[in-house]
Amino acid sequence: MDLAFYDLKQHKGRFIATVIGVGLLFTIVLAMNGLYRGNIYEGLALVNATNPDLWVVERHRGGPFNEQSTLPEFYHYSVQAISGVEKASPFIYYTVERPIKGVSRHFSIIGYDVFGGLGGPGKIYSGRNIEQAHYEMVVHPKLGVHLGDRIPLGLHTYTVVGMTKEAVSSDGEALVYLSLPDAQELLFQRDNEEVRTQRERSLRTLSGQSDLSLVQAEILLPRLQPDTHIINAILVRLKPGANRSEVAGSVEKWLYLSAFSTEEEVQLMLKGRLASMTKQLLLFRTLLLIISVVIVSLVSYTFTMEKIRSIAVMKLIGAPNRVIVRMVMEQSLLLTIGGFLFGVVLIQNTYSLFPRTILRVPGDDLVVFIVAFAGGILASLLGLWEALKTQPAMALGG
Amino acid sequence: MEILRIEGLSKTFGSGRLEVRALEDIHLSVSRGELVALLGPSGSGKTTLLLCISMILEPTGGKIVFDGQTIFQKNGWAGVDIRRVRREKIGFIFQSHNLIPFLTARQNVLFPLDLVGQKGEKADSRARELLEYMEIADRADFLPPILSGGEQQRVAIARALANNAKLILADEPTASLDTVRGTRVMESLKKIAKENRSAVIVVTHDVRMIEGFDRVYRLKDGRLENNGA
Repeated sequence: MDLAFYDLKQHKGRFIATVIGVGLLFTIVLAMNGLYRGNIYEGLALVNATNPDLWVVERHRGGPFNEQSTLPEFYHYSVQAISGVEKASPFIYYTVERPIKGVSRHFSIIGYDVFGGLGGPGKIYSGRNIEQAHYEMVVHPKLGVHLGDRIPLGLHTYTVVGMTKEAVSSDGEALVYLSLPDAQELLFQRDNEEVRTQRERSLRTLSGQSDLSLVQAEILLPRLQPDTHIINAILVRLKPGANRSEVAGSVEKWLYLSAFSTEEEVQLMLKGRLASMTKQLLLFRTLLLIISVVIVSLVSYTFTMEKIRSIAVMKLIGAPNRVIVRMVMEQSLLLTIGGFLFGVVLIQNTYSLFPRTILRVPGDDLVVFIVAFAGGILASLLGLWEALKTQPAMALGG
Repeated sequence: MEILRIEGLSKTFGSGRLEVRALEDIHLSVSRGELVALLGPSGSGKTTLLLCISMILEPTGGKIVFDGQTIFQKNGWAGVDIRRVRREKIGFIFQSHNLIPFLTARQNVLFPLDLVGQKGEKADSRARELLEYMEIADRADFLPPILSGGEQQRVAIARALANNAKLILADEPTASLDTVRGTRVMESLKKIAKENRSAVIVVTHDVRMIEGFDRVYRLKDGRLENNGA
């Protein structure tokens, strides 16, 4: 006789409400799992999608994503000259917040050598790659624009010529690919009034604090203008058979720069920028899982305590402990498994609506299920302990 | 045929100055088909004696022989599977009915059958037969909270009879019922003793309910005042 089933049948409403409550908790646990995986996936997506043999960055910097790295653009010629290097391409990456179609949007811009350089978008699912030196862009659909749209950015208007979903920024934001000069201009181009003020200030500095005439100062003025030929990294493709460590060593020894393989860049991200958020999410999902088990435990305990007199009667009329253990455990497991299944169904149907990527990994779901199942058994122990120590004498008397 | 024999049974709670002698030198014998009442005021030891007979409370001394088997002697329980004896040979009827509230009347009767491995059509048929015997078959699929006190007590009696118990222990079975319903329950117990040949021990403090009983034991301060006459 399945006592647990008959009991739950009589308390359908309360059981379903509890399953939904526990299920919502499991939904959050599963969402946290997905967020944890999504955070790592998105954080590394650009590194993995770009995947050059070497990332050359400013010396002792963990750039270009984990830490700011600034290099003169022409350094890529020096890197190109190192033995074993087949191609060295300038690469710039930065995050901006600009109005797109009237809405302020946060996104990252990548500037690369569009004529055969490394670091461009991977697979273009609609349209084409950038083919002109200026005013074309390839974007991620997260930006909310479409193929053929004309987007004003800074002083110019850019045409969306291609769409890619290959990667997102390490913050999970949309990526916009531009030619290197366009990206540099967008980053360094100042407001016209600021340009004029700076020019006046420089002119006065030159003519006022030296013996230069105004004409001489005007001739020297362009030399004081800030350099906009700045990049964040140089992406390197090695010649077949070249030794990556040796090339990296040469770059570090002769050019006073740092060079990382993609695997090292991934580790830099995991131990650096992604570490705290990843740990935070890990902690959250662990806490939530514990909370779920505690709640199932308390609910199971309450269910058991409500039946304590019935349990005493069962013992008095000779029910062996296994009958009582089965009833308590079945209820706890039905609650846990029901809640977990509800959570799985809910997250399966809603994960695409989350603003950040929820990356579902079957292995993670399995781990949550195993922990929930073990937790369900653990949760029933408290109720079981009470049930088993109940004296049959409790059934006697009024 | 004797089904229960108690010799010199005693039960003491606590020790030293706090010692309470709840039962002292109890001698009692019950035969099959016999209807026995345990009468006494509150605190006289009726329920303690019932707990000892039903193997819930371990006596301090004496001897209990049940169905030809010594189940207790001065060294303790005599290696018997207590719960097995209870589920196979003893039926219980309680003051507050104590039906399992989430099982229907029929399922409550089926439960003890299920415990001894009796399932399926045979068990269903037995449950139906018992509910008809207790004239409650029309309420078989009702949950206990919907039934009246008298109806619940009749279902409880049907449950106690399910496994053809050799001994039925009833603890104040009429305490929560009015006189009419109480009398009806007592009539049912008499019928069981007579027709089923089960020994029935009824604990009560209501002398009006013991008319027609074969034997009446009176307890006072843990001692039997008479020998069941």
